[in-house]
Amino acid sequence: MVLMFVTQVQATTLTIASYPNFDAAIRAAIPRYEKLHPDITIRLVSLSFYDHHNAMTSALATGAGLPDIMGLEQSFIGRFANSGGLEALSAPPYNALQYQQLFVPYTMVQAQNDRGELFAMPADIGPGSLFYRSDLLAKAGVVLDDMTKTWDSFIDAGVKLKQKAIYLVANASDLKDIYIRIGLKPGEGIYFNQAGETLVRTERFVRAFTLAKQVRDLGLDARLQIWSNEWAEAIRRGRVATQMTGAWFAGHLSSWIAPESSGIWRVHQLPEHSYASWGGSFYAIPKAAAHKSAAWDFIRFMTLDQSMQQEAFEKLDAFPALLSAQQTPHMAASINYLGQQQARLIWKDAAANMPVIIAYKYDAMAAEVVRKQMDLVLDNNKNITEALEDAERQIRHKVRR
Amino acid sequence: MQQKLDSKKYSALRKAKWIPYIYLSPFIVLFIIFGLYPMLFSAWISLHSWELGSPFHQMEWLGLTNFEYVLTDEWFYHALYNTLWLSLAAGIPQHLVALPLAALLFRMTSQKRHILLCFYFLPFITSSVAISLVFGSLFSRDFGLLNQLLAGLHDLELAGIQPLSWLFPEQAIDWQDSSHIRWVIAFVVFWRYVGWNTLLYLSAMKTIPSELFDAARLDGAGFWQQLRYVTLPMLRPMILLALTLSIIGNFQLFEEPFILTAGTGGSGQAGQTLAMYLYATAFSEGDFATASATAWLLFIILFTLCNLIRRINQKDYL
Amino acid sequence: MSHIKNLKLTHWLIGSMIWLGAVLMVLPFWFMLVFATHNEQTIFSVPPPFLFGDALGENIQQLLSRLPYFWHNLSNSFYIAVVTTILNLFLCSLAGSAFALYHFKGKKILFSLVISTMLLPAFLNMIPNALIIAMFGWFNEPKALYIPAACGAFGVFLMRQFIEQAVPNEVIEAARLDGCSEWELYRYIVLPLIKPALVTLALLTFIASWNNFMAPLVVLHDMESYTLPLALRALQGVGVVPWGAICAGSAIAVMPLIILFIFTSHHLIGRLNQSYLK
Repeated sequence: MVLMFVTQVQATTLTIASYPNFDAAIRAAIPRYEKLHPDITIRLVSLSFYDHHNAMTSALATGAGLPDIMGLEQSFIGRFANSGGLEALSAPPYNALQYQQLFVPYTMVQAQNDRGELFAMPADIGPGSLFYRSDLLAKAGVVLDDMTKTWDSFIDAGVKLKQKAIYLVANASDLKDIYIRIGLKPGEGIYFNQAGETLVRTERFVRAFTLAKQVRDLGLDARLQIWSNEWAEAIRRGRVATQMTGAWFAGHLSSWIAPESSGIWRVHQLPEHSYASWGGSFYAIPKAAAHKSAAWDFIRFMTLDQSMQQEAFEKLDAFPALLSAQQTPHMAASINYLGQQQARLIWKDAAANMPVIIAYKYDAMAAEVVRKQMDLVLDNNKNITEALEDAERQIRHKVRR
Repeated sequence: MQQKLDSKKYSALRKAKWIPYIYLSPFIVLFIIFGLYPMLFSAWISLHSWELGSPFHQMEWLGLTNFEYVLTDEWFYHALYNTLWLSLAAGIPQHLVALPLAALLFRMTSQKRHILLCFYFLPFITSSVAISLVFGSLFSRDFGLLNQLLAGLHDLELAGIQPLSWLFPEQAIDWQDSSHIRWVIAFVVFWRYVGWNTLLYLSAMKTIPSELFDAARLDGAGFWQQLRYVTLPMLRPMILLALTLSIIGNFQLFEEPFILTAGTGGSGQAGQTLAMYLYATAFSEGDFATASATAWLLFIILFTLCNLIRRINQKDYL
Repeated sequence: MSHIKNLKLTHWLIGSMIWLGAVLMVLPFWFMLVFATHNEQTIFSVPPPFLFGDALGENIQQLLSRLPYFWHNLSNSFYIAVVTTILNLFLCSLAGSAFALYHFKGKKILFSLVISTMLLPAFLNMIPNALIIAMFGWFNEPKALYIPAACGAFGVFLMRQFIEQAVPNEVIEAARLDGCSEWELYRYIVLPLIKPALVTLALLTFIASWNNFMAPLVVLHDMESYTLPLALRALQGVGVVPWGAICAGSAIAVMPLIILFIFTSHHLIGRLNQSYLK
């Protein structure tokens, strides 16, 4: 791919704001990029995940202190894309939509608003799969294929695991998060449809809540908050048999959560042919950026340059959004930690099959409302119909303006 | 002679008229720029709807719609309830402990007092990151020290029976769930500020003339009587000040519940205070206009409360 | 006899409760120090470590490599805190004197305004403040932090309360009759009398400035200009969080505050036999 860039007479400093661990990819790229473009110096500003997004929110609100390039995580894209403060990359001079075919289908849509304008370029993705402890399943006499046939059979497997004092999942609400992403009609987002109505009382949500409640009532979940140290400890000690999350989890497992459990974890597609993504990182250019063309060059370098994406893949475990970067021998390599499983092929498959879900402006807010109601259903035994009615009411309330 | 003195006095008086304004001018300038303007700005945007990245002239006038919205939001009342609950649960013990503690420290030798005060004040200056980590570890459901201690006490065996088993819980307490998280937050707030209040009271006790204590002692008053009849009345303005500060601080409680619930507000939002609700509206939803409306509602509540306290206090003097 | 014994027993009981309470106060802090000398694996082990480990050097190394500007951040925090404190001491005592010692038009209203700023949550000012800072072009400069905080409402409030209480009218009248200028009044009469309040304000202002991270978050966009709490938070990613290094950094960050407190508390509660009427 030929990179066209504009040379500038004087040295330009490109400011990039990002967060760990996404910033590691930028750090790795700086020496290479600066060598290719001796007139450009890159300055990286890192803050912790929430601090970074808060700082960017404030910067967008005030229009001041904005970087040239903003690293963004998928859960914040919706709000930032609709804020009006980011450059529309689908418009000239960027015309980013010409690259759409080069990426895994679902990722670009995540960065588009409901009118199809693109506001960020995907850098890496988090295709979700089922991580499971093969030894624990064996101990409970659970057959993998049976377990993943349907969600009901998944729960049945959980009952068997419980008999051996093993939890099926860390938290019942995980099932809700996956299920609400399945079976969307064309034009629908997760929480809203094109007419702007909220969908939380549809069958999809009812079933999602019911499944989660079932898991909780049967005592199949460990009631743990992901990333808390109880959760990490439970995973480490083999108290929980599965974790459904993004591909990058393998790296965390092997490096700090459970390095001594090498060889007994495996991955599989999610039950009942479901596909969901966890996370994903993007690059955006604020409207108020000082060096937009240089910023665009760098973004294209990070997202379209095959060797750069591959380097991030191999060294930093960042699953490439760029399709051509997925054609690498690294993809078919056996992963030691996962018992020599060629797990990346499974993830590649998941990524390719991931349904394209349109992002709507109030998605993050709706997700929060639904999450709160789910808590009430699971912890306080609230009635599901009531909970969903309340959720609908609250979402309508917030959106009415 | 007389004339000269008079004119000197006159010019001194004239100068004196301007002096307060001069003294106040730096404060006023800073206040207008960094205090008044933000207040007016937030009041202004609370009456509009404002998209995060759009320029200011695109704001839509909404009148009191934002306020109406907040006042009909059940989560607002939920947060209000939590805030009130925490204010009382954390605030009352703070002062009930700080006053006698200050009185006790007052009587100690300077060295012991110094060391103890340093210990009690330490929580006030510890950073929130360290607090979240340490308390998270101590209150952990499955692995925390506290639960292990409770379990140990429960299982304590003396000659084959467990005498304390009725007192302590059998299963590990989940400190994070909705019925317990408030107690954890209240405890951490208490831990953080009891030393601060003790310091306030102790420094105020300095100003009580020792003759009063001598007289009381001669009359046969013991420690508690001295506390009640000498210290308390003399300390009244300081108590009032400390209480007011506590109320203001408790109503704006943000850091402790935020870090203890890892920003989520806890299961069922049991740990969400008004300030957290505000923060979530501003940063999670990106809606600064509604957040400003909430802030002004909070302001009105606090203002009323503080006024009430002042009125009650004045009445007592009569 | 038993009456005295009872008294001694309650004495001992209360005394030990106080010391127990003190230990409780310090325990979390102790753990922070202990965690600073362990790596993440040990920190989260069951039970957590009580005594020092040997990973301190490792943690500090990690800290410095992830935060290349660590010492810079430390000195930034220091500089900003010191300047803020000095400005506050001077300006707040002036303003407090104005409110406490003089009668002038608009006094009540102004003072109510002062108090009302304390009633609004601080982070709501973030956006408008950022706008002003942007207008002045002070981004990434310490000015952006110490100028807005140079005369805090709380400081003015504290000063006014204390001056009202500690500076009797007779003294002022007497001084004025002696031909004291207003400035001399402030400098030689008021200031010495409110020394404990000044020390308290200095301590509080320093601590607040040092631990503040909301304001720097908005106006500092360059890792070199960060203050220490902000920099330490930058270490927290998802997953492998270097907790040991963070604790080490936090321990270093809290040291100046402890030293400051030890020095100032002498002034605050030291000589208790001094009558204020001197």
